[in-house]
Amino acid sequence: MLGVDLCVARVDGAVVWGLRIWDEPVQKMTSWGGRKRPDGTAWLGPILAAGVFVFLLAPFAALFFATDWADFHFAQGDMGAIRTSLLYSGLAVLLAVLAGTPLAWWLARGQWRGKWLLDALLMLPLLTPPLALGILLSSFYGPYSPVGSVFSQAGIYLTNTAPAFILAQIYGAMPYYIIAARAAFEGVPRDLEQISRTLGRNRLQTFWGVTLPLARIGLSAGVALAWVRAMGEFGIVLIVAYFPQGIPVKLWVNLQDIGLDAVYPLLWIFFLVAVPLPLWIGLRARRQTQALF
Amino acid sequence: MNQAPATLGLRCQLKQPVALDLHLQIRGFTVLLGVSGAGKTSLLQAIAGLLPARVSPFGDLPVEQRPIGYLPQGYALFPHLRAWENVAFPLPRSARRHTEALALLQRVGLKELAERFPSELSGGQKQRVALARALARKPQLLLLDEPTSALDMATRDEVLDELIQEVHAFGIPLLAVSHDPHLAMLADHMAILREGRIIQEGPPVEVFARPQHQATAHLLGFRNFLSGRIEAQENAILRIAGAGWQLQAESSSALPVGSPVQLTWRAEDLFLEEKSGLPCPNRLLVRVRAGRAEGLSTRIYLEGPAPLEMLLSRQQAEAAQITPGSSLKVCIQPRHLQILVA
Repeated sequence: MLGVDLCVARVDGAVVWGLRIWDEPVQKMTSWGGRKRPDGTAWLGPILAAGVFVFLLAPFAALFFATDWADFHFAQGDMGAIRTSLLYSGLAVLLAVLAGTPLAWWLARGQWRGKWLLDALLMLPLLTPPLALGILLSSFYGPYSPVGSVFSQAGIYLTNTAPAFILAQIYGAMPYYIIAARAAFEGVPRDLEQISRTLGRNRLQTFWGVTLPLARIGLSAGVALAWVRAMGEFGIVLIVAYFPQGIPVKLWVNLQDIGLDAVYPLLWIFFLVAVPLPLWIGLRARRQTQALF
Repeated sequence: MNQAPATLGLRCQLKQPVALDLHLQIRGFTVLLGVSGAGKTSLLQAIAGLLPARVSPFGDLPVEQRPIGYLPQGYALFPHLRAWENVAFPLPRSARRHTEALALLQRVGLKELAERFPSELSGGQKQRVALARALARKPQLLLLDEPTSALDMATRDEVLDELIQEVHAFGIPLLAVSHDPHLAMLADHMAILREGRIIQEGPPVEVFARPQHQATAHLLGFRNFLSGRIEAQENAILRIAGAGWQLQAESSSALPVGSPVQLTWRAEDLFLEEKSGLPCPNRLLVRVRAGRAEGLSTRIYLEGPAPLEMLLSRQQAEAAQITPGSSLKVCIQPRHLQILVA
């Protein structure tokens, strides 16, 4: 049986996150004289795996050769876009973590009727196409909407401003963080939290001393996921905050105005800032889980 | 705190997930025996304050203020903390924390493993770290859930002996729940939990010698039960009979003739008449249903007045050449028969 799910899971002692493709072996009773599967197809697995691997990674290799390394230069405004993306993505992730962690904990530990409905509703922003979500946001927070006008009376304009940009990124990143964090909290054995209480620690102390440290690997994975989502958010940002331009929108603008060759330098920077954090967290998590379990 | 045995009267009323209502004396090392699902773990959690229940003493305190050390099954050591950090967990933050934790580890003989993580400890070592951690709070009561379940047979007795010595040394009353009668044999006091109540309690010598109910006898390892009526009483010997059988049992208490009773005895106490050369005042005619090797013994399932079990040494079983379907004459000494009031 083959299946795909979005999750944070513990596999061979390491925490992996993202799309997990699982293959549940179908157990057959072969010991009572049944036929054993012939070994002649053993080469099929590696060949298939190699094929998929090449398929997935070939475009990245191609980028390496397509880049004109002799004439590697940024387009005008690229530096500003990099600054915008790093600063505001950082802020957006911070806010998503601060607001999302208590909710994730509540969803993981709470038991009440109708919880399934909340779970389902939480999936809504996750499953909505970014462009559609962007349109929703601009109609909800836009200058002519009731909510938007309340904000603008307070001096906060939620269209084409830094707050709008951060808002768009939070909508893109937070649901992913909450789902990852929730899974991380659910992975903390409840009896350890109970034992902490019997050892004289109250709920808050138990959360800091037991739950957070034990969930930290999954939480880090959630942060990394949120970081990638925030950095790469294009659809929502395009509608709500075309300005200030971050890397994704600037890439698109460069592509339109100058052409394919002009986007490669910025694309490289994009990879360099977006990928190392999740990679680093993934490697750290692997080391720590090996030490722990 | 060092006068032994430390005692504590306990009362607990619980509705969910298992209905319990019991009084229990805890004297030194006390073992509460019950079958799986009898609510043993729930009882401990209720006493510790992890389940809503009416408990005394300590029932009016929130979990974190109850002076109780709770060792759940598997011990629940924090995997992200080293052994000494686990022990130091309940201690207040101070410069002396490390020293105090090491002193406690030394008391349970594990000071040299202080830097290890729980995953690097054996089952017995984990248990001792958990004990040191529970003791760090200076509890007035220790609760142990199935303390023998995570230990292998080879080290179990050793670990238990050490545990009991430590508990006596610390002078804190301890309640262990278990389904393991071997653990109860080591206790100062024991009780039997059935259907939410204590049906028998007392010193293990007494309870093992005189189980009062079938449930108690079954928990203590008795496997043979026969229902009958008292036919006659001569001095300390009772004659009890049922359909097609008559047995003599020793009893100090007088029971009226004709009253229904249940007899029980251990599988070990049944022997083959022909091979033993012993007098056989109590004889039963039985048919062999099946046999099963059980370590160095053979357990033989018999069909008699009721389904019966006999445990023979391997040599006895081989010499007797017992085969399924064959008929046997088996004996039981009157002093080995226990009388349960039906």
